[in-house]
Amino acid sequence: MKRKFLFLLSMVLVLSMVLGACGTPAPVEPTEPPVVDTEEPVEEPVEEPVEEPTEEPVEEPTEEPVVRTERKGGWLDEIVYTVADPAAVLTQIQAGDVDIYAEGLAPSFAQEVRDSGLGFSTSQGTYYGVLFNPATCDDGTFNPWGNRKIREAFNWLTDRNYFAQEIFSGGGKVKFFPIITEWPDYADLADTVRSLESYYAFDLEKAREVITEEMEGMGAELVDGAWTYEGEPVEITFIIRDDAARTAMGDWTADRLEEIGFTTIDRQYKSGSEASAIWIGGDPKLCEWDLYTAGWGASVIDRDQGNIFQEMYLPTSQQGIDVWLENDPDPEFQELGDRLYNADYTTVEERKEMMARALELALQDSFHMWWIDSSEFTPYVNDIVAVADLAAGVQGAQVAPYTLRYDGVEGGSVKWAQQDLFAEPYNPVAGTNWTFDQAVIRATNSQDTLYDPYTGLVHPLRLESAEITMQEGLPVGQTLDWVTLDFASEIVVPDDAWVDWDPVNQVFLTAEEAGVSGLTAKRKSVAVYPADLFETVRWHDGTAISIADMMMTWILTWDRAYEDSLMYDPAAVPVFTVFESAFKGIKITSTDPLTIEYYSDSYSQDAELNAVGLWPWWNSGELSFSAAAIANSAEMSGELAYSAAKAVAAEIEQTSFIGGPSLEILLTHLDQLIADQTIPYEATLGQYITAEEAVARYEALKAWYEEKGHFWVGTGAYYLDQVFLTEKSAVVRQNADYVDLADRWDMFATPMIATAEIDGPGQVQLGQPATFEVFITFEDDAYPANEIKIVKYLLYNAAGELVVIGEAELVEDGYYVIELTEDDITELGAGASKLEIAVVPIPVSQPTFTSVEFVIVQ
Amino acid sequence: MTTETNIELAKINRAARVNNAKRLGKFLALRIVMLFLTIVVGIYITILIANMGGYVDTIMRNEIRERVNQQVAAMTASEPMSTEGRSDLVEQMIDIEETRLGLDTPFVLRSFRFLGNALTLNLGRAVHMVSDHGSRAVRNIILERLPATLLLTGVSQLFLFFSTVFLALMLSRHYGSFWDKLIITLSPTSSAPPWFYGIFLILLFAAVLKILPFSGMVSAPPPKETGAYILDVLKHLILPASSLILSSFFISIYNWRTFFLIYSSEDYVDMAKAKGLPSRDIERRYILRPTLPTIITNFALIIIGLFTGATITETVFLWPGLGRTIFRAISLYDTPVIVGTTIIYAYLLAFTVFFLDFIYAIVDPRVKVGGGNS
Repeated sequence: MKRKFLFLLSMVLVLSMVLGACGTPAPVEPTEPPVVDTEEPVEEPVEEPVEEPTEEPVEEPTEEPVVRTERKGGWLDEIVYTVADPAAVLTQIQAGDVDIYAEGLAPSFAQEVRDSGLGFSTSQGTYYGVLFNPATCDDGTFNPWGNRKIREAFNWLTDRNYFAQEIFSGGGKVKFFPIITEWPDYADLADTVRSLESYYAFDLEKAREVITEEMEGMGAELVDGAWTYEGEPVEITFIIRDDAARTAMGDWTADRLEEIGFTTIDRQYKSGSEASAIWIGGDPKLCEWDLYTAGWGASVIDRDQGNIFQEMYLPTSQQGIDVWLENDPDPEFQELGDRLYNADYTTVEERKEMMARALELALQDSFHMWWIDSSEFTPYVNDIVAVADLAAGVQGAQVAPYTLRYDGVEGGSVKWAQQDLFAEPYNPVAGTNWTFDQAVIRATNSQDTLYDPYTGLVHPLRLESAEITMQEGLPVGQTLDWVTLDFASEIVVPDDAWVDWDPVNQVFLTAEEAGVSGLTAKRKSVAVYPADLFETVRWHDGTAISIADMMMTWILTWDRAYEDSLMYDPAAVPVFTVFESAFKGIKITSTDPLTIEYYSDSYSQDAELNAVGLWPWWNSGELSFSAAAIANSAEMSGELAYSAAKAVAAEIEQTSFIGGPSLEILLTHLDQLIADQTIPYEATLGQYITAEEAVARYEALKAWYEEKGHFWVGTGAYYLDQVFLTEKSAVVRQNADYVDLADRWDMFATPMIATAEIDGPGQVQLGQPATFEVFITFEDDAYPANEIKIVKYLLYNAAGELVVIGEAELVEDGYYVIELTEDDITELGAGASKLEIAVVPIPVSQPTFTSVEFVIVQ
Repeated sequence: MTTETNIELAKINRAARVNNAKRLGKFLALRIVMLFLTIVVGIYITILIANMGGYVDTIMRNEIRERVNQQVAAMTASEPMSTEGRSDLVEQMIDIEETRLGLDTPFVLRSFRFLGNALTLNLGRAVHMVSDHGSRAVRNIILERLPATLLLTGVSQLFLFFSTVFLALMLSRHYGSFWDKLIITLSPTSSAPPWFYGIFLILLFAAVLKILPFSGMVSAPPPKETGAYILDVLKHLILPASSLILSSFFISIYNWRTFFLIYSSEDYVDMAKAKGLPSRDIERRYILRPTLPTIITNFALIIIGLFTGATITETVFLWPGLGRTIFRAISLYDTPVIVGTTIIYAYLLAFTVFFLDFIYAIVDPRVKVGGGNS
């Protein structure tokens, strides 16, 4: 009996283990993220504009006649940041253990997220494609990938829809171009891109035909279904990254290549570092690889992707990777790409034409051939409102802390999970820039402007208004009404504007003092702050913001780059070099209200992005006068350093305002500054702050430290209440003294993505006109006409060729008509035709496409 | 016995003691040298492996170029800089980064610097990693994670050791009983690794029953009162410790029980039984005593093993332990951290091996330090 029982028990155990092993996706690989950036090269967070200057300025929908709340700061009482494993986080949210996983889940989670019943947002993820090695091999090996026609034919070889639907489970969009499918350029060029997408749609036979013709032209022969060259099989080395998506896409592509005769393919599955040693570090002329499954990332909506052609295709790219130098582009593409990179055009229309042509040439070149723009998913409990930036998701959205709330509820606590926390020291000047740390930093900080999560434009946050003057002939436009834009034939920098810094005497030099009177600039920005700025905006330690805060940041910008300064940091020089290459001058023209004049040769094509204030904000947070003073003091005495590079070189600790060995050092310096009543950079800052005021600031910071145990103070909607470094959690609490009401950015609660429908005849007589109606709505209401940039239509004939492009006529809000003339219908010819529309709204950069099919009969 | 004889005996004894002392000294010196050489070789091999013989330099250079390219593209997007200017900037930034990471020095030189620093316990500063508190000192990176690791591995491994030895001894006295057969039946369950049990336990107790936390060492935010904090940590400890214990519990009992059974069937044990000695005496004097060196060795190795953490279990449970830190260091090619953790383990192991020789001699009269016959 016992023996039977034991046998039965052992069987049950074995069975349960087998079933368990089959059913659970066990996280064999530790999922902790590496400290290095993503293995993919991350495309730059560029903030450039491409908006049409012809648009009328749109009034910001911030006016609310009804007072909806009296609450200031964040909607929530507190946000608790913690870490979670992405593999288990959906279950955790369902179990109520966390409320939101702000990091964004990979496309492989797409179906699981949809099935979970949780709320979720989507945002731009990694984008994928094939990179070719076009080099002529040193050893004479035959390399077909130097042939542009063969690379171009790869577009017909690739079924991007299959990738999007099957491999990404709908978690990705087909991608033909280097520009991102949800960003402004794609929307602006909707007709061009749709036309090209139609032309380059999957067609294996066409790919085979073109490749066969080109291969034979190069002397290759198809022998028994396999390509050979001079009697030897054509061998291909395909480096396939070992993540699931790229492995699937790489294998699918390799299978198609085998189908058309490339039967000798060495599929090498490699990790990022293994692959980079070959495709980046290797000599392309050694022909160690032919194809690589490239992946790139982007974290900020880029409103001007004109630079992408040079970066991704041309030998002049600053990538500095050898394989770029081996590409031999069409001279027209080379010239166009370089001109777009250097913004060598004078009107938006000219740029648009250049972009359209560059897209066409990019597909013909296909040094990079694109597959998919993937999406990331941010899941959360259903009663939460979480605004996601189209590029940066929820975690990276500047607006997220202002809008995160329980639907219809004031207060409450949200447990915000992400992959990690505290990856590097927290200091605003050169501290952590990890997105998960930035989530905490953004909640506690404020800035001059706030990024629109759906368009990449900026709205005034601490600024009130700005006047932008551009040199005539520059393609700059304006969309929002908080800036004014005009043009001047010449912009002269005043002689009393500061143009340089004297690190020895610690004073700024005016243009006159620097001997550069009469400087001119391409851009002048006059930024104006609210008159009550210095009364209403307070640091978390209770002190009011002052010009000293702003000047301290401005001084550090310069002082860290000068070798004569004790603050000199070689790591600060490259960034300063870029800044200095365009900077022409700055002048504080008024302190009541605070008004800043700024002159520069750099510019963006959106006037809004050209406004420059003096907010004490760095890439890693806000820096108060008092916090800067103690950190500077510690750095000058050689005990701490803002940057990792300087800290490592000097074998000292990197400054951290929230924990570690830094705190004790900073406290010592704080006490010293109080005792000495120090005004740092006294020759300059002494004009803006007295010794008594400085001491009051230090004492407030000390009181804050004694209460909270850290030196992290900002002016944001939340303040950092508690930090648990090893336990990996942080608590931020609502800042009731914040200057703005909690509902200020509610307009971003839902992206105004248009819904479009086409109504019209199913059958049209050849040679007769036809009328189609277009209805555009948002949440069942008519989409305001003044928020629609354009409604374009595209007509395709029975062969799928684009025949006619036009613009729909506005009748009233949300209602447009398309009148097809007799000529249009005749040009289409008899058979099944398709009418597609592209709706380009202003509040979101994501266009809406919809289509209807109709038959033209004789 | 005459005085002369006594003197002679005293001389002989003194000479024997001197000889023993010499032999012991020689043995100790040789042992120390051998252990030190073992450490040197082991650490240098670790350095070579962690750097793939210097190939990691190439990987890091490529990664730096990728990263800097993107940084420069971002920095200069709307700036009026020429392509050449941008390229110069890229090279300048790459130089700064390569210098920061020590790539401006040949790997061979760096490898010996790593070795020298390690042997002198100058753990130095991490290349990529920082401690949770923001320090780059390897000492801080290791020390801040050590308590969490010792808590998890200490609780699980010490519980595992003592409970399994105790139960095995009991089972060895009840060979063939129901419980003996049950343990044998359950021992294959240890073929599953701890994280496998971890996932089961999380699903059952966190997701379904919702009585224990999913992961972490403490709630977010942690309780402010010390007592509540300790209770909260213990609550978080249950699942990861259980998974570590469960995965080895039955096989460990089975191993010890088999080990004890071998000693239980020795002739001298049968003789003792035949003489009618009480079973407790037999267990203590005839079975446990000769097995003590093995038990002590096992225990000592468990103790130093606590310092290495439990990488995958810590990862599954997001336990902020040293195992995860070591894993991160390996994936980031952070040689100072890898070497730092390795050298600590190496020294602990060497000391343990060294002192075990003496402990063997104390607990087992058959063992003589230095191989002498007194």
